[in-house]
Amino acid sequence: MRSRNWNLFKTIFIKEWISLKRYPFNTVSGIITVYMVFLLFFLGYKFVGGSQPSFGRTTEGFVVGFFIWTYSISAYSILAWGIIQEARSGTLEQLYMTPLGYERVAIYTVIANFIWSLVWVIPVLVLMMITTGKFLHFDLITLVPLLVFTISSGYGIGFITAGLGLIFKKIQSFFQILQFIFVGFIVAPIDKLPVLKILPFSLGTKLIARNMMDKIPIYKMPPGELLILIVNAVFYTVVGFSVFKLCEKVAKDKGLLGHY
Amino acid sequence: MAIISCKDLTKVYKNQGQVVQAVDGISFDIEPGEIVGLLGPNGAGKTTTIKCLCRLINPTRGKILIDSRDVVRHSNFAFEKVSAVLEGNRNIYWRMSTKENLRLFAGLQGFSGKVIKEKIYELIDTFGLKEKINTEARFLSRGMQQKLAIACALIKDTDILFLDEPTLGLDVETTIEVRRLIREKISKQGKTILLSSHNMNVVEDVCSRVIIINKGKIVADEKIDRVKEFFKVNAYRFEVEGDINNKIKRDIKNKFLGVKFFDKETKTDIVIEMRDSMKIYEVLEILKCRNIKLLGIQNVEPDFEEIYLKLVKDEK
Repeated sequence: MRSRNWNLFKTIFIKEWISLKRYPFNTVSGIITVYMVFLLFFLGYKFVGGSQPSFGRTTEGFVVGFFIWTYSISAYSILAWGIIQEARSGTLEQLYMTPLGYERVAIYTVIANFIWSLVWVIPVLVLMMITTGKFLHFDLITLVPLLVFTISSGYGIGFITAGLGLIFKKIQSFFQILQFIFVGFIVAPIDKLPVLKILPFSLGTKLIARNMMDKIPIYKMPPGELLILIVNAVFYTVVGFSVFKLCEKVAKDKGLLGHY
Repeated sequence: MAIISCKDLTKVYKNQGQVVQAVDGISFDIEPGEIVGLLGPNGAGKTTTIKCLCRLINPTRGKILIDSRDVVRHSNFAFEKVSAVLEGNRNIYWRMSTKENLRLFAGLQGFSGKVIKEKIYELIDTFGLKEKINTEARFLSRGMQQKLAIACALIKDTDILFLDEPTLGLDVETTIEVRRLIREKISKQGKTILLSSHNMNVVEDVCSRVIIINKGKIVADEKIDRVKEFFKVNAYRFEVEGDINNKIKRDIKNKFLGVKFFDKETKTDIVIEMRDSMKIYEVLEILKCRNIKLLGIQNVEPDFEEIYLKLVKDEK
């Protein structure tokens, strides 16, 4: 059973890579779009010369915020679009017919996604650092776990959107809007209003900024904050997947899994 | 012991106040190694039945057992036994090559690429896809895509195979090739096959038993050789100029199995079901004698239920 699971994981991992490779336009245009939005905000801020940039207190904070935004929309949209695309094309039904269970397919898709997203998240980050001239601190031991728990909520929301997308066909515009709502979550003023830590991405972005800007390693961060981050991640993932399962039941009742 | 057992399968769709009874209390058992055709017109409930068997659609009522286990409660067990090629040409990944698709479907079953390598090449050979091994599926012809979809189901090496309209949308040549592959290659492996089609020739050619369904209900469930007469029936639409008087209509009606007239503005369509396609010349003879101008002839799908019931009545 263990090796069958491993084979399934490898299969999904390669599948995600192939789809990234075969849709190069999406990847490249994604990088360019996000970078252009960044430039727009960044230059706008510079020209206005305001002391309150949109993404936090300094230019570095701005870059970190954008980095998290890029990662979150990548996670969210690749997952949600991927599932809906497969429902449309008929391959989702084939994924459901694995004896190892669709749940495993979903988990492995998320993991593969998280890793392959780097293919376009890293170039955007490098471009942003070159443009601003601010080079951030990279401590993978701190960064990787913080990213995992921060971005998890994006997958939770991705599952909700995918589930709704299976049932309601005209949901595309909702997708687009949601990506911009993420900005609000990322810049939420959790210092002034700690209750906002329950939002997706908000606390995680702040902790990641502390590491990338102030070089604070994970073991020196307040355990309470880390705990909230983990609970937040688990909450959004569990809720997201549960909503997806509920939508899946409706889709199976209405025969919509393969009929877009 | 039946490997597939379906009892009182019912599916009702409710959509914005409209109630559609797609499947209406279907029951059948399929023994291991049987090749069963599910024959019926479009909208008869074939796809819904197959998708319920695959647990892709939740039935409203009824019980489905695959190898004695309930599909709803043990779906993962069912998928160890069942693979399916569902209707349409999009069961496979269009952006993946022939080989990548086969690897992926093997992987979904938990097989490792190394172990399955030989089998992949064997299937590629059998299905004549050797030259297209590295071609993305979207660049394959419709027929090749369908062959690849079937190969992808076979790589899973399950005991049961569902084929939903496997020849739909294929040209004549590929249809014959796919039929030959099912008959000569797949059935020889001892697999249990449930094949749905609206095409009598496909069912007659490939299956050992036929279940005829219409409007969600089973009309007949017979061994193929017991209903040989049924499969000889052909239906044609004769398009003729002008109106046809009642006397001629009666004459034609008495001569053939089933006759229907559709009066149009300046012409009449006559749909004739006949026990043997040679009878087409008798129709032409009648039209010639009565000086009726023929505008065209078309092969059409017979009404399976009506024909079957008529043949049964004749036997009695």
